Amino acid sequence: MDTVPSNTESQPAADEAVAGNNDSTPIAAEVPMIAVTIDGIDVEVPYGTTILDAARRVGLRIPTLCHHDDLCTAGVCRICVVAVEGMRTLQAACATPVTLPVKIQTNTPAVRTARRHVVDLMLSNHYGDCTVCKRNNNCELQSLAKEYGVDYYRFGHPTEPKYAIDRSSSSVVRDMNKCVLCRRCVRTCSELQGVGALLVKGRSVRSRIATFGDKPLSSVVCVNCGQCINRCPTGALTEQDQTDEVWAMLDDPTKHVVIQTAPSPRAAIGECFGLEAGSQVTYQLNTALKRMGFDGVFDTNHTADLTILEEGTELIIRLYHALVQGDTDVALPQFTSCSPGWVKYLEHFYPHAVPNLSSAKSPMQMFGALLKTYYADKKGIDPKDIVVVALMPCTAKKFECNRPELCSSGFKDVDYALTTRELAKMVAESGIDLPHLPDSPFDEPFGDGTGSGNIFGATGGVMEAALRTVIEVVTGQKVENFFDHADILPVRGIEGARMAEIKIDEVGPVPDLFKPLVPDWDWLRGVTLRVGIVHGSANAKKVMEDIKAGGPFSKCHFIEFMACPGGCLGGGGQPIPTDATIRAKRSKAIYQIDSDFKIRKSHENPVVLQLYREFLTDGPCGHIAHHHLHTHYTPRGKFMS
Amino acid sequence: MQYIADLIGISASEVLGVATFFHFINKKPKGKFIIRLSRDMSSIMKGAKSVARQLENDLGIRFGETTPDGMFTLEWTSCIGMNYQAPAMMVNNEVFSNLTPPKVHRVIEDCRQEFNARRPTVGNVGETYANTLNYTNHEINSGLQRAVSVSPSEVIAELTVSGLRGRGGAGFPTGIKWNLAAKAKGDCKYIICNADEGEPGTFKDRIILGKYADMVFEGMTIAAYSIGAREGVVYLRWEYTHLKPHLEAVLEARRKSNLLGTDILGQAGFCFDIRIHMGAGAYVCGEETALIESLEGRRGEPRNRPPYPAERGLHGQPTVVNNVETLATLSCIIPRGAKWFSSMGTERSKGFKLFSVSGDCSRPGVYELPWGITVDQLLETVGGQGAKAVQIGGYTGQLVPARQFDRRLAYEDLGIGGSIIVYSAERDMLEVAENYLEFFVEESCGQCTTCRVGNQKLLEGIRLLQQGKCSNRYLNDLISLSETVKLASKCGLGQASPNVVIALNAHFKEEIMARPIMGAA
Repeated sequence: MDTVPSNTESQPAADEAVAGNNDSTPIAAEVPMIAVTIDGIDVEVPYGTTILDAARRVGLRIPTLCHHDDLCTAGVCRICVVAVEGMRTLQAACATPVTLPVKIQTNTPAVRTARRHVVDLMLSNHYGDCTVCKRNNNCELQSLAKEYGVDYYRFGHPTEPKYAIDRSSSSVVRDMNKCVLCRRCVRTCSELQGVGALLVKGRSVRSRIATFGDKPLSSVVCVNCGQCINRCPTGALTEQDQTDEVWAMLDDPTKHVVIQTAPSPRAAIGECFGLEAGSQVTYQLNTALKRMGFDGVFDTNHTADLTILEEGTELIIRLYHALVQGDTDVALPQFTSCSPGWVKYLEHFYPHAVPNLSSAKSPMQMFGALLKTYYADKKGIDPKDIVVVALMPCTAKKFECNRPELCSSGFKDVDYALTTRELAKMVAESGIDLPHLPDSPFDEPFGDGTGSGNIFGATGGVMEAALRTVIEVVTGQKVENFFDHADILPVRGIEGARMAEIKIDEVGPVPDLFKPLVPDWDWLRGVTLRVGIVHGSANAKKVMEDIKAGGPFSKCHFIEFMACPGGCLGGGGQPIPTDATIRAKRSKAIYQIDSDFKIRKSHENPVVLQLYREFLTDGPCGHIAHHHLHTHYTPRGKFMS
Repeated sequence: MQYIADLIGISASEVLGVATFFHFINKKPKGKFIIRLSRDMSSIMKGAKSVARQLENDLGIRFGETTPDGMFTLEWTSCIGMNYQAPAMMVNNEVFSNLTPPKVHRVIEDCRQEFNARRPTVGNVGETYANTLNYTNHEINSGLQRAVSVSPSEVIAELTVSGLRGRGGAGFPTGIKWNLAAKAKGDCKYIICNADEGEPGTFKDRIILGKYADMVFEGMTIAAYSIGAREGVVYLRWEYTHLKPHLEAVLEARRKSNLLGTDILGQAGFCFDIRIHMGAGAYVCGEETALIESLEGRRGEPRNRPPYPAERGLHGQPTVVNNVETLATLSCIIPRGAKWFSSMGTERSKGFKLFSVSGDCSRPGVYELPWGITVDQLLETVGGQGAKAVQIGGYTGQLVPARQFDRRLAYEDLGIGGSIIVYSAERDMLEVAENYLEFFVEESCGQCTTCRVGNQKLLEGIRLLQQGKCSNRYLNDLISLSETVKLASKCGLGQASPNVVIALNAHFKEEIMARPIMGAA
């Protein structure tokens, strides 16, 4: 078996931030070095480096606000101005490339006054009290005000709100009274995510961030990914907070409240308690949740494994129809459907491709469905009294769990999807000091998941988990025979869109679980399986256009799509800030946990096997599985009410 | 808008973002006749406010509204380049000047009748006084003939030696700009003629385009030859739509004479043509990078520089953006030589310049004058003796008080664009400043915090002064803020908009602080 990672020419090779920085000069092979002096410190930087980056190299901090490492340069807030020798005016450090050997000063009276004025001016239009703001203590404007010694509102301060708060969306709350017009959300939405739900409307003092036609966010094309929230420097964009509802359920003795936790928030929630990004607190979090009153704490990894079997089976069926039976109507490549942001993105922008989406529900929804059927049965609890809460890295999950089609038990599969930030708040409210808690296991009847389920949180993780299973199921051999330690490195990485090929040289016997579906694997012998991995919906757009144009991605059999940069670990519900460095640390943690697991393959998950024995008795993609674990989609298009 | 978005493959919100940036893109249905009254200081001084009241009374609506029968929409607009015949207004694309209340009443009656008769409105622009000696003496196309007889680098060298500096206001040496663009690598270089004459008080470009369009196109063609451009664009402000048919006719005639098109003047491989692109009402699009953004179909917001347009401009290609007057003037220089040009003017300000003069003077109009004359001499020429102050270089320029009238118009001293507004003794300087800042607040693109919010705060401060409610301490805060806005803003708009506040504080402090307190404390 050969595995070839292939970065196609149409795709940017550099890194995940493919959508950002598209107006900076591409770094050529040989970039001359320029010697500059910043605050008296000499440093050599490559031609075209921004003053901001040059200053960072010598340990000088220049304050920023509209700048975000994930996004293209704007240079609009003017907080980062510095004095450059020979220039009449101050220059924005984030937007000014070093092209000449100049002297730069980051701390002159004019610079300090200007920065103070910028903060004063922002505050003169920023309505709201810090003490009643979600971003209290984690607000860039607040920090700048402190840093520059703002002790009164020099140019006034609004006493009345100007705009109604838009709470229409299931995921994102927009309070434009707090907006300072840094435009990070607009750049995130249009460049990083390729959605364009937000725009700068009007000009001059009337310019403001708006939706198309000033409609409520729920009525415009928005995929609920929440990336805008993660990049908002103030409290203007926040998630739809459901902690009060969840507390009410926890406090209601008639309700059996259970929670499932996903791997990405577990690798990140420690950040809200002062821990380093990527700290592992999974089992401490279990203790916290139990102390908070949850009646059951479960690991979403189980249904991630179940997803692999259902989605993998669906792929096998599609391939069998296409390759053996010559059915040309089979929709290939098959697309993953675990990312609700991606699903809605496709429904809006590529409605014709709905048949390509796997009909498998996301792991969160599958777990919800099982909890209200299988688990309810086992425990003898009426499903109407079961409240399923999910801890997710994601704001789009809030929209997903309200989809009317996701209620196979007759009740909503999942009642509340909480973001990492919301749960951190609840933990804090409970007076629990998460980093110092003892460990607790996950509750029965599910217990621990697998490593494969865990890596769903990172870009390429779903594909790796799927390949581990496919390789073993089809070849009958251990995946370790082909990849050291079962780490399928060719699908890992941070490129925004990438491909890998796996040639199947030999096949084994069909395992029992799949016998009802295919007579043998002979038809796969010699077949090269081509897979794609895409994260960030702007990259999804590129890949979808590539498929439309018959490019390399159209030859793929299976493509993993994640709406958020970095996959779930960079989700819109994760702690703020989230940037490339932090994503890398969370990713490292997730892969580390995977490699520590005893069971690392979805098809070996004993809980999953037990489910197929006891509950989903007609096997993967059978009738029962279809009823509870699969769904359908809505081709939405772009015209909305 | 979703339809437009799908056609060009962008999101609907992006289309809305662009549409709401520009003044002349209607977002909702407006009247058959859109009346836009100019709000520049010259118009206000000459009675625009009483004209406004007449319009409101006649139409029974307020500014910003449309009559119920859908016939008329009434709006304020920034300067429309008719300051010497102020007040002035536009009805759709036609210009009406020297307005008085009885006159606008007649105009509205005419519109009603003309609409019934299905005739278009016809504006009534009077003849402008214009003293344009060198332009009049220029033999059309002699510059282009001379240019193609030598090498492109010789043309650029001649221009550099002549000392010609950009006439749009920034005063960047034209020869150096061309040289940068000539050296930059690009598949398709562009020449853009900046005809977005938005600086309140200037109208010289309108006169040039009306009378000497050939010289402008000649200048563009010389530029194309010099830097190797194949495409030229005239970015014409929407307010000058009435000039477009004339300009198109001139272009067509030039194409017929092989002065545009392929192998121009028999020079194999010298191919160049010019198209006219209409602006949509945004002062800031006179800033060259904002202009390019607008040409590319986006919101007209200035870019971060570097890179400068000469390296990466329109569609990422090397682009020269020159003002109308710069292009016309260089057409005069090339045949007569750098020496002839540089013999006029001063050490650092070579040649002559066109000035648009309006306000309190007896002979407003366009004047061609050599650099280096004093404000006093200028006032004598235009009949503006006894003035209290003169605004030199438009709203972004400098407000010069009477005791400094011995200062010279030259880059060494009052380096400027072309707009001169004369204020006589009875003018209220706070009203002047309020008008300026209203303009800048309206026309700021809104991206920089300093310009967007800073100018608003300065305007509020001027209103406090008017009400006698501004403390000395707050005035000092405003002056300090003015310095920050000038220093920290991205483009020339914010870098110059607070000038008037600083000038008032420096020259008219007694006048502005001595106001009775108005209203409740």
